[in-house]
Amino acid sequence: MSIKCCLRSGFALLFIGILSLPASAGTWQHEHGTLTLDEPPKRIITLNWAATEAVLLLGEIPVGVADRAGYDVWVNEPELPEGVRNIGTRVAPSLEAIAELEPDLIVTSAEMAPAADLLEQIAPTYVISVYRNGSRPFEKASEMLTTLGEMLGREDRANAILADIEQTLDTQRQRLEKAGMTDRPVALVNFLDDRHVRIYAPNSLYQSTLNALGLKNAWPREGNFWGFSVVGLEAIAPQQNSRLVVVSPTLPGLSDTLASSPFWTYLPAVRRDEIYQIDPVWPFGGVFPVKRLATMLTDSLLEGGSDNVR
Amino acid sequence: MYADAASLPRSRPAIPVKLPVAAVILWFGALIASSVPWFGELDLGALISAFWTFDPEDYSSVLAHYSWAPRVSIAILIGCGLGLAGAVTQQILGNPLASPTTLGVEAGGQFGITVATLFAPGLLAFSPDLAAIGGGLLAIGMVIALTWRVGFSPVTVILAGLVITFFLGAMNMAFLLLKGEWLGNLFIWGAGSLVQNNWGPFTELWPRVAVLAILMLLLMRPLQLLQLGQTSASALGARVGLIRALALFLVVLMTATVVSRVGVVAFVGLAAPVLARLLGARTLGSRLLWSTLMGGGLLLLADTLARWASTWGDGSLVPTGTATALIGGPVILLALQSFRNTHHMPGQETSPAGFLPKRRSPLVVSGIVAALLLATVVVSMGWAPGLESWHWTAITQWNEAWVWRGPRLLAAILAGVALGLAGTLIQRMTGNPMGSPEMLGISGGAALVMVLIVLSGAEVGRLGQLGGATLGAAGALGLLILLARKHRFAGNQLLLGGLALYVFMDAGLRLVMASGGTVASQLLNWMYGSTWLVSEVEAFGLLGFTVLVSGLLLLVVRPLTILPLGDTAASSLGLSVSRVRLLLLLLAAVLTASATVVIGPLSFVGLIAPHLARVLGQQTVGHQMIVAALVGGLLLAVADYLSRIVVFPNQLPAGLLAALVGGVYFLWGLSRHGR
Repeated sequence: MSIKCCLRSGFALLFIGILSLPASAGTWQHEHGTLTLDEPPKRIITLNWAATEAVLLLGEIPVGVADRAGYDVWVNEPELPEGVRNIGTRVAPSLEAIAELEPDLIVTSAEMAPAADLLEQIAPTYVISVYRNGSRPFEKASEMLTTLGEMLGREDRANAILADIEQTLDTQRQRLEKAGMTDRPVALVNFLDDRHVRIYAPNSLYQSTLNALGLKNAWPREGNFWGFSVVGLEAIAPQQNSRLVVVSPTLPGLSDTLASSPFWTYLPAVRRDEIYQIDPVWPFGGVFPVKRLATMLTDSLLEGGSDNVR
Repeated sequence: MYADAASLPRSRPAIPVKLPVAAVILWFGALIASSVPWFGELDLGALISAFWTFDPEDYSSVLAHYSWAPRVSIAILIGCGLGLAGAVTQQILGNPLASPTTLGVEAGGQFGITVATLFAPGLLAFSPDLAAIGGGLLAIGMVIALTWRVGFSPVTVILAGLVITFFLGAMNMAFLLLKGEWLGNLFIWGAGSLVQNNWGPFTELWPRVAVLAILMLLLMRPLQLLQLGQTSASALGARVGLIRALALFLVVLMTATVVSRVGVVAFVGLAAPVLARLLGARTLGSRLLWSTLMGGGLLLLADTLARWASTWGDGSLVPTGTATALIGGPVILLALQSFRNTHHMPGQETSPAGFLPKRRSPLVVSGIVAALLLATVVVSMGWAPGLESWHWTAITQWNEAWVWRGPRLLAAILAGVALGLAGTLIQRMTGNPMGSPEMLGISGGAALVMVLIVLSGAEVGRLGQLGGATLGAAGALGLLILLARKHRFAGNQLLLGGLALYVFMDAGLRLVMASGGTVASQLLNWMYGSTWLVSEVEAFGLLGFTVLVSGLLLLVVRPLTILPLGDTAASSLGLSVSRVRLLLLLLAAVLTASATVVIGPLSFVGLIAPHLARVLGQQTVGHQMIVAALVGGLLLAVADYLSRIVVFPNQLPAGLLAALVGGVYFLWGLSRHGR
């Protein structure tokens, strides 16, 4: 009886094993053809930060990433461990450095299209563009995470990450709704200098956070394919009803310059003390910034705003 | 121009009536266009009073007072300042193409701001002007230091200014490419935006502009003497060099002060004097006055257009610099139609003599350059940095290393050869030491298409890039031929036309830069020549092509020798002038296009290689061409190698490195041989 049971479960395990093996070794369609892996890749190189983030989230440490130093400053989370090599800038990585690391998988986007053939010569290359015309960044980033999960044989982990993000977004939404904070729109901006901002558009990654939190984006128009528009500060003036969320970093001295400008002090959001400044969130990342922004945005809105940037 | 001065009547001529009429139309048109969006919200009285007061209860009124009115005021102020500065510059250099830009002031200012942003953000917060003025003065200081010994001879000044512009521009780009995320504001500054939300900048700016303008006007009389030519002016007791230096200094101060607030919009400084002259301003006084007025009207109109354009589409900012370029391009084309000077630029007869050092044996010189080239190839293929350490690649393993190092090196050399040849062709053909493929606008046309591709968001492969660039180069060439036909392809008109095309391309580039982000740095990467994307097939394709065209070049050596003797002489020697010019133009264009797709449109090589060939003592056409080709190849081979290794594993575009390496050498040569 017990032997039979063991045998049966043994068979079952074996069966599952056989089933799950092709999941990590298989063939995938992507933006630049197909990609076949015989076994889960161990030496991954990522050529943009969204891909770096996805690989790290899945618990794998890439052997090389593009613009390592920049990642630590602009993305920061999830943390990139010591020992990961820098293989050049994100726009012009060094092919020779990539080849030297002998990767078994390269993750890149269609921006690198001109180099795709050269990359293929080094290792199987997975091309997926989170940011391109007409794409919804969050959906694409989720797809990238799931596919990388399959390649690495870590579908469970990928699903768990997505579920956790969903969970966080839900919790934060409830917090906001309870406080009755979802009624008026918010404008998400990044100060470039004292006259110009990047404003995040409905096709941005940030929009996914806003949607999930039940917040309306004050900026109605589509941005460039990264999901933002560069506008003069006066362009946000007509959005009289909206709150203004300023994403750090800001240049030193900005608050003084703004405080001395009546245009700024008369801005409706400023007069209502509805300027909220939050820590840096990488606006061109994968799925993770959506969660990070949701938490920080909710905390900041609940904490209350001020009449100037920090 | 001296030519104008010679034909001036003694008595002050009456100002043609079309001049004031045009100015009035320009100003009223611009002012009304600027006010139109407000008509629904504020009545006319409230709008006019927005310049000094506002109603705190009405947010429209606050907006008009703190955003619209200062913007209009600053546009007019800056436009006037730049118009005046441009007119003065043209007077100093005796050149209808001169503008503050030609002196490297903008590139210098931008350089100052870049350095401050990266290394002293506190200074930037304290005063952005200081950084920009410092950079502008650095640029002009370099120009002055380089041209001091030649008494600021007009062509040399322009040449030095141009080289410094390229040089500092290249430094800017190096920073932008490596630190792009940190320099978001610089992308906007480079594009020139007049957005205001305060009266502060205007109130700070107007006294400075006024003082500088008065000082410039005080120099008017000495400047008028300059118009009579250097010899007569000296005879009349005017210290020509000193006056020029002083006037140049004021121009720089004006431009840097003005531009530090709003970024690079100084194209106005070229367009306004040209417009004033075209409409009939003859005397120096009237040129200064009407250039100033035209400048103000032009910039206001350009800014209004930019403002309107910002509200179309996705609402993202259209930089004023884009609009000025769009206005300025046609103005240059207009100038092209009306200047009937088929002779060379003033001062040119004296200047090229400085570029005729003693003859050297072409065999020895080309042998040495070829040996250097070979050495570069060996080092480039063999000695390379890795992630761990530097190492030699034995010659037996070169076929492995070839994949990463070979095609790009080969392509770089070939691009250099092509640019060296094209540059020599153009300089010989136009008889102008400033002539280069960049100035001809062929590279600009190719780049324009690339900019459009990036703007449209389409992703194209390498082949698409090549096709697009070739199409653009051919288009630019066609346009050039069309424009130049009535002038029988004379030298200066070609340069003017090329400049206009370049300006159009520049407008697109500024738009992309202002929209910011990685797209901008990607484009800049290409603009300055990224060889890393070149595949084996493309490199060999380029090789075959270059060999073919070089063969064709053998046919044109004789015409090239004869052409600079002048049209009449050439015709009497049995040359069909326009047909030969067309052929030369085609060859130069094709060479340029093939190089542009590899190295981008902004590399220095087409300008510099022919010069170096001259400095190396090659004076006949054939010899100069061979040495220029070799020098070009060497220059870009070194540049490609350096671009791979200096910041490994990061890369710099090879064209950028060529601009840096070549620029230093060129400046040294200019100061040494420019006498």
